[in-house]
Order: sequence, then C-alpha cells, then structure tokens
Amino acid sequence: MKALMYFLFRFLLPVFLVCSFPMISLAEYRIGVIMSGDIPYYSAMHEAFVAGLNKSTPAGEKVEIILQRPFPDPISWSNAARKLIAFDVNLIVTYGSSATLAVINEKSRIPIVYAGVYAPDSLSLEGKNITGCGFKVPLSSLLRYLKRLKAINTLTIIFSGVEDDSVRQSTEVQVLAEQHGMPVKKIDIKSRADLVQLNTIKQDDAVFFTGSSLAHLWLKEIMPVIRQKKVPTADIFPDSSEEGVLMTLYQPPRDQGKKAAEMVLQILKGDQSKNIQPEIFRDTELVFNLIEAQEIGITFPIQLVIEATRVIK
Amino acid sequence: MTMRKRSCRLFLGLLFFISAYAPWQGLVFGQTDEILLGIEPEHNIFDQVERYRYLAAYLSDQLGIKVNLTIMSRYGEVIKRFKSKRLDGAFLSSYTAAMGIKELNLEPVASPVNFGGESASQGYIFVRKDSGINSVNDMNGRRIVFVDPATMEGYLFPLAYLHVHGVTDINSFFNNRFYFSGSHASAVFAVLDGRADIGSVKDTVFEKLVRNDPSISRELSVIAKSQKAPEFTLCVSNQFHKDLKERLGAVLLQMDKTKEGKKALRQFEALRFIQSDKSNFDQVEKMAQEARSSIHEHGNN
Repeated sequence: MKALMYFLFRFLLPVFLVCSFPMISLAEYRIGVIMSGDIPYYSAMHEAFVAGLNKSTPAGEKVEIILQRPFPDPISWSNAARKLIAFDVNLIVTYGSSATLAVINEKSRIPIVYAGVYAPDSLSLEGKNITGCGFKVPLSSLLRYLKRLKAINTLTIIFSGVEDDSVRQSTEVQVLAEQHGMPVKKIDIKSRADLVQLNTIKQDDAVFFTGSSLAHLWLKEIMPVIRQKKVPTADIFPDSSEEGVLMTLYQPPRDQGKKAAEMVLQILKGDQSKNIQPEIFRDTELVFNLIEAQEIGITFPIQLVIEATRVIK
Repeated sequence: MTMRKRSCRLFLGLLFFISAYAPWQGLVFGQTDEILLGIEPEHNIFDQVERYRYLAAYLSDQLGIKVNLTIMSRYGEVIKRFKSKRLDGAFLSSYTAAMGIKELNLEPVASPVNFGGESASQGYIFVRKDSGINSVNDMNGRRIVFVDPATMEGYLFPLAYLHVHGVTDINSFFNNRFYFSGSHASAVFAVLDGRADIGSVKDTVFEKLVRNDPSISRELSVIAKSQKAPEFTLCVSNQFHKDLKERLGAVLLQMDKTKEGKKALRQFEALRFIQSDKSNFDQVEKMAQEARSSIHEHGNN
C-alpha cells in the first residue's frame, strides 16, 4: 500500500498535473495598455511593444490589446485604469509614471508592466505585481549645450504639476541650472489656459521642456510663441513632428517598448513579476536642428555639431 | 682662347659646381630655406593652429629659416608623409611617437611642459557616477567610446587594461557596441550625455574640461588610470640634418630663458620645453604589446 501511494505521488500526480493544464495560448490573453498622454513618444513605444509581442506570438494567434489614451489629467488616468480592471484584463502595460501610478492606486491584483517611466529607481515602484523599464537622460547635458550656444539670462522650465515624471524632472533641472548659475523660471501647464504664461518668456531666455504629456500634446501651439522670441529650446523627448525644438537628448522609446513586450511575454508564460528585474535604459540620442538654429539666428559651433547623433539640416 | 672666354668658362664651371653641391651642403650644414612640421589634430583645430602658429613664428625667427606647419589626419598619414619625405618633423602624441620611433627611427627632440607643470599625460577610463559601473565586470554588454586608434590614452590603454583584466575579445564583451569619438573632449561629452557608458580619455583634456565646468566632476568618475607618457613630443626624421636638429632642440630648450621665448611659450600654452629621449616611450611600446592581441581581434592591426 505504501509503495502504491509512493508511486502515485512520485510519478502519476506530476503527470496528471501537467496533462490537466492545456498548453497556454497567447490568444487567450487580453492586455490593457494606458498611455500617460497621446503623444508621439509613447506612440513609438507602443508600436515597438506591439511589434515585439506579435513577433513572439505563434502564427495565427493574436493577443488582444485594449489601448487607452486618456487626456493627461489624474481623473482620466484613473478612469482608464478602472476601465481596464473592469475589462478583467490579464495584465496592464503603462507608459509614463502618471499612468503607472494611477493603476497602482487602484490596488488591483492585475500584474503591471511599466515603460517610459523617468528614473523609476527613485519612484519606489517595487511590488509583487509590478515590473518594467524606464529611462534616465542626463538633463545637465542639455544645459551645457544651451550654455555653449549663447549667454542665457533665465532658464524657463516647462512642466506640468499633475505629471509625476515632469515634476521630478523640473526639480532636477532647477537644481542643475542653479549649479550652472542660471536663474530659473517655471511654467506649470495644467490646462490650455496656462499657455498664456509663455508670453513671459524673454529673448535672453532658454526654454527647457520636461517630458510632460500636456506640453507635448500642445507643442504645435507652444513652439510658434517661443520661436517668435528667437529663444533656444531643449527637450528630453524627440521632436518627432519637427515642431522646431532646437536640441533634443532622449532615450529612444522603441527600446523600452521592445523590452516591455519581452517582460509581458515572460509573465504570460508564467514568470512572476517580482522575479523579473526592472531595467533602466540610459543610452541616448542627441539631435540638433540646424534649420531652426538658422531661423532664430543661432550658429552652432562645429565642436558642438560633431557631438550630435543626428543633425537636421 | 681669350681671357674673357676663359673667365666665362670658369664662371660657368663654378656655377655648375655650386648648383650640384648646394643640396648636399644644405643637408649637412642645415642650410635649408624652410622646414615642415606636422601636428596631430585636437578637438578645436582652430585654437590649435593658432597656438602652433606662434611657436612656428618664434622658431622661424630664431633659426633663420621658415618653419611651416601642416595638420595631419592620423597615424597612417604621419607614417606616409615621413616615408615620402614630405615631413621634416612632427609634434606627436605618445603612441604615434612610440610607433614612429620604432618603425621609422624618428628622433625625439623635446616635449612641452604645460601650465600645470606636466609634460606627460595619462589615460583615464571613466563612467557616469550613476551608471552602476565600478569594475571591468560591470562593463560587460555596455557601450564604450574610444578616441582614436592612434591614441595611447584613448585606445591603447583601455585595450591593455581590459586585456589585463581578462577581456581579450572586445567585440563580444561589448556586444559590438563601441565607437571612436575622434577627439578626447568628444569622448567626455559622449559619456556625459549617455551616448556611451564607458569612455577613455587623456587626463589633461579631462581635467581642463572639469576646470571649465566643475559640474562634470559631479557626474563622472574615473575608475582606472594608466602610467604617464610624454603628452606631445617633437620628433624629427632620421634624415633631418644633425646640425639643424641640435639648433632646433637648443632653441626650444632655451625658450623660457628669453622674453620673446616666454611670450611665445605663453601663447603656445606651455611653461617650457624639456629634452626628450627614446627611452621615454618604452612603456608605451610595452602597453602596445599588452593590447596587441586585442587590437588584432579588433581588426585595427
């Protein structure tokens, strides 16, 4: 009897357990995705995410993706998170810290994979259901390049007080600018009405764009005001639609989208989120817009031009 | 034959003799009209030419012959131009000088001493402080920026250092993610910007950038240093006339003793020149040997 029991537990039970679970088909999964804002940076990230996911999905199968592009404000992020939880998605992917924090606030048990979060190591995103990748851009480099272009009276930082990434970046830039001896002025954009503050920018200023979704959503309206004052601009997101930002130093969003897809696949195949090491991307690309420089009467020294990964001319 | 005809023949004969003898005479006694010195390009080529222009003017004045300057692209060109005899001498960085001494038997003359009192430089391997890189183990799979294959500080040293720490295949260790910035300053900016994780650079350039912008030292940390080697050395061709070489050396070594010399030195951004010797480059050759296997695998042999 003892031998029979031993045989049952040792050999038959594992065989039964393996056979009783059908092969996991990715097509049975429904993934919710929330962007912190409907801006080109997160769209590029999402494209790479979908491509990465499709590449690893068996032929004929397709993972269902429910994409939420809420307006960048706390209520919309929260509503988007609740909607996905109500859809009973298997996993939520978030782009940017605002969307990530909104999902975390809902305290659901659905695993979260984040991407596009600025310096996630300083945000305490650890938890048993959360993993992901973020990025870090040396903001001081942009200040250095601005300083080498012209004497700057005041650095105007454009940020959004409702977006966590943007707030942290603005604080970081402020400290760095003060170390470089640059007085700082901040423009907080929470609504379209706040754009009127752009009129306070003076000709001797330089403008620094944080990774605010709101600012980038309205970049088409913001840039003409700044260009009129012939003020140099720097951004930590790429100027994908070439609105005329003078210099951009950014982490290519596609890397993070691809990584998020890998992490999602690992979780869908049974790995625990807590066992998947979060990652921070630090590689950057530096782009100078020489056409814009000419427009605003700035000459890039050759020593500066050679530093660029890409030059728009 | 009339007296006039005889004088005329004598004169023509003398003229022929002089014209045939003159080049040899110039070679032996150093009575050439001009000499051509090469310089290796730095980050700001315009500033560099300006600095060397003052030195060339002073040398021209002191030697009584025109000293011309030419900017060379890199090591390959130095060798080519010395071989084709289109260069009398050149101010060379330590690796180029070491290779020139070894392969072309160039003769080192003098090295400038910078405002900090240093005539030698060393290589730094540096990273961003927030990169999490503290040792060679942490570098695996990251991106490294070298300066130029012809630099001791910006290429030879990091290769030798990595080799000593067990890395012989640079390609696989860095996942083929390495590139050459072309200048020492660019290597610093590449790491500062996050366009590379690890950089190698000459200490003098690194320290000058830090002096101009102290925030750089808050962001970067140096994790390895090479031994020191002469930063720049004026080397001349082994066919360069001995007398002129000695005069050139004497003028350079005496520069800090005269008012005009001091002025030219200040414009050249140096305190003085010191005598140079072939043995100063032994350690560079040793480093080259250590790195040679990596260079072969790297494809730059």
